[in-house]
Amino acid sequence: MGINYIGIGDFAVSNKPDDIIKTMALGSCVGIMLYDPKLKIAAMGHIALPDSKVRGQRGMDKPGRYADTGIPLLAKAMLNKGSKRGRSLIVKIAGGAQINDPNDTFNIGKRNVLAVKKILWKCSLILKAEDTGGNIGRTMQVGVDTGEVTLSSPGRSKWKL
Amino acid sequence: MIVTKSIADRVKEMPMLSVVSTRLLELLGEDNYSIRDVVSIVENDAILTTKILRAANSVAYSPRVPITSVTAAINNMGEKVIMGIAIESCAPKVFKDPLGGYMSEAGQMWDHSLCTAIGARQLSSYTIKESSSNLAFTAGLLHDIGKSVMSVILEGNTEEMLGHIDNGEAVSFLDAEKKIAGMDHTELGYELAQHWKLPEQLAMAIRYHHHPQDVDDKYKDLVYTVHLGDILAMMAGIGTGVDGLAYSIDRTYKDYIEIREDELAIAVADIQEEFFKTKQAILGEETE
Repeated sequence: MGINYIGIGDFAVSNKPDDIIKTMALGSCVGIMLYDPKLKIAAMGHIALPDSKVRGQRGMDKPGRYADTGIPLLAKAMLNKGSKRGRSLIVKIAGGAQINDPNDTFNIGKRNVLAVKKILWKCSLILKAEDTGGNIGRTMQVGVDTGEVTLSSPGRSKWKL
Repeated sequence: MIVTKSIADRVKEMPMLSVVSTRLLELLGEDNYSIRDVVSIVENDAILTTKILRAANSVAYSPRVPITSVTAAINNMGEKVIMGIAIESCAPKVFKDPLGGYMSEAGQMWDHSLCTAIGARQLSSYTIKESSSNLAFTAGLLHDIGKSVMSVILEGNTEEMLGHIDNGEAVSFLDAEKKIAGMDHTELGYELAQHWKLPEQLAMAIRYHHHPQDVDDKYKDLVYTVHLGDILAMMAGIGTGVDGLAYSIDRTYKDYIEIREDELAIAVADIQEEFFKTKQAILGEETE
C-alpha cells in the first residue's frame, strides 16, 4: 500500500487498489477528487488560485496550481489511466477556507471554490459532494479501491465526504 | 481555567539567547543594515557558519564550485536564506519543537514562520509608504514566538477551545486562548520579546500582528505586512495546526497596503514557490 502525498499545485492519479492519495492542509486551496467507480481509478489535485491568466507575460509556473488549467489536467490524467470520456465520474471537492475580508481582496478561498465549480461545469464534471468554506484547514484523502473520501482537521475527528 | 500566574515564570524559564543571537537580532531589527555587519557577526559563530555553508552547498543551490565563505554564500543564496538560518538557530527550541497545544508537529512552527516572513517581505513592496523588506522578513519569522510558551498551557484544552469557537463564544482563536490562559499568544510573545530584549519594532510586530490598527503609527507599515503575511501563510495551509484560519483580518490594512486582486494572486504563487525553495535550502540537504 502506498500513500501518494500531493503538494500545492500537484496532482496524482492511481488505479492500484491499495493506494491512497492524500493532500495535507488545504487552507484556502481546494482539493479536487475524481473517481471512476467502474474501473476504480482515482485522481486528486490541489489548486491554490482560480485563474492562470493572472500570470500574463510571466509564463506558466505549475498548471496544477490554477483551477482553469489544473482541472483539465486532472481529467486528462484519468483518461490516460484508462477512464473513458463521457463516463460519469464521481467528483468531490474540499477546502476553500478563508479569513473573511470585508474589502474582498483576500477572499481567495471563496474565489477558488467558485472558479473550481465553474471549470468543473465547463468540463462536464458533475459535483457530487463538497465540504468548503469556513475557517478550518482540511486534509483530504481518497482510497483508490473504494473512492471513499475522508477529511480531517487538527483537533477534530475524521469525517467522510 | 485561568493560569496567568505561572505565565511570567514560564517566560523567565525560556533559555536566554546567545550573545551572537542577541547581536544578530539587534542588527536585523534595524531598518537598514549592511550585510557585511551580518557576516561579521555570523563568522564569530562556528555552528552558524557551518549551517550556512552546508545550505549554500546543498542540492537547492548546487554551486559549480564549492562555497567556502559566508560572503560567497550570501552572494549565492541571497540575504533572506542567511537571515532564516541565523534566526532559526537563535532559538531552535521555539521553532523546531512540536506545538502540542496547537496539535502541530515538529517543524510546522518553523514552516509557518518562514512562510509568513516570505509573505510579509512580498507585501512590503505594496505598502503605500516605503517600508523595509528585510525588517518585514525578520518580523515575520519571529511573529508567533509566543506560541512556543502558549502551547504548553493549552495542552489538554484543545477540545474546550474548539468548542468555544464552534459555539461562537470565541470569535477568534485569540479569544479562545484568553479563555484558557488569561492572555493570547501575541501578549505572551511580547513578554518573551522583552525577556530576550528584542528590538522594539520586532516586539511590536509580535504583539500587534493580529491587530495592526492598535500599534503606534510609526510601526504600522511593518505590522500590517506581517499581519497579512501571516494570513497568506495560513491560507496556503502552512499554519500551526488547530487554530487553522480562526482569526480576523484587520480591514484597515487598505490604508497602508495597496494591492489588487490580480497582484495578490501573483504574490500568492510567488510566496508558495519561494517558500518551498527557501525551506529546502535552509534544511541544507547535502549534495551527493
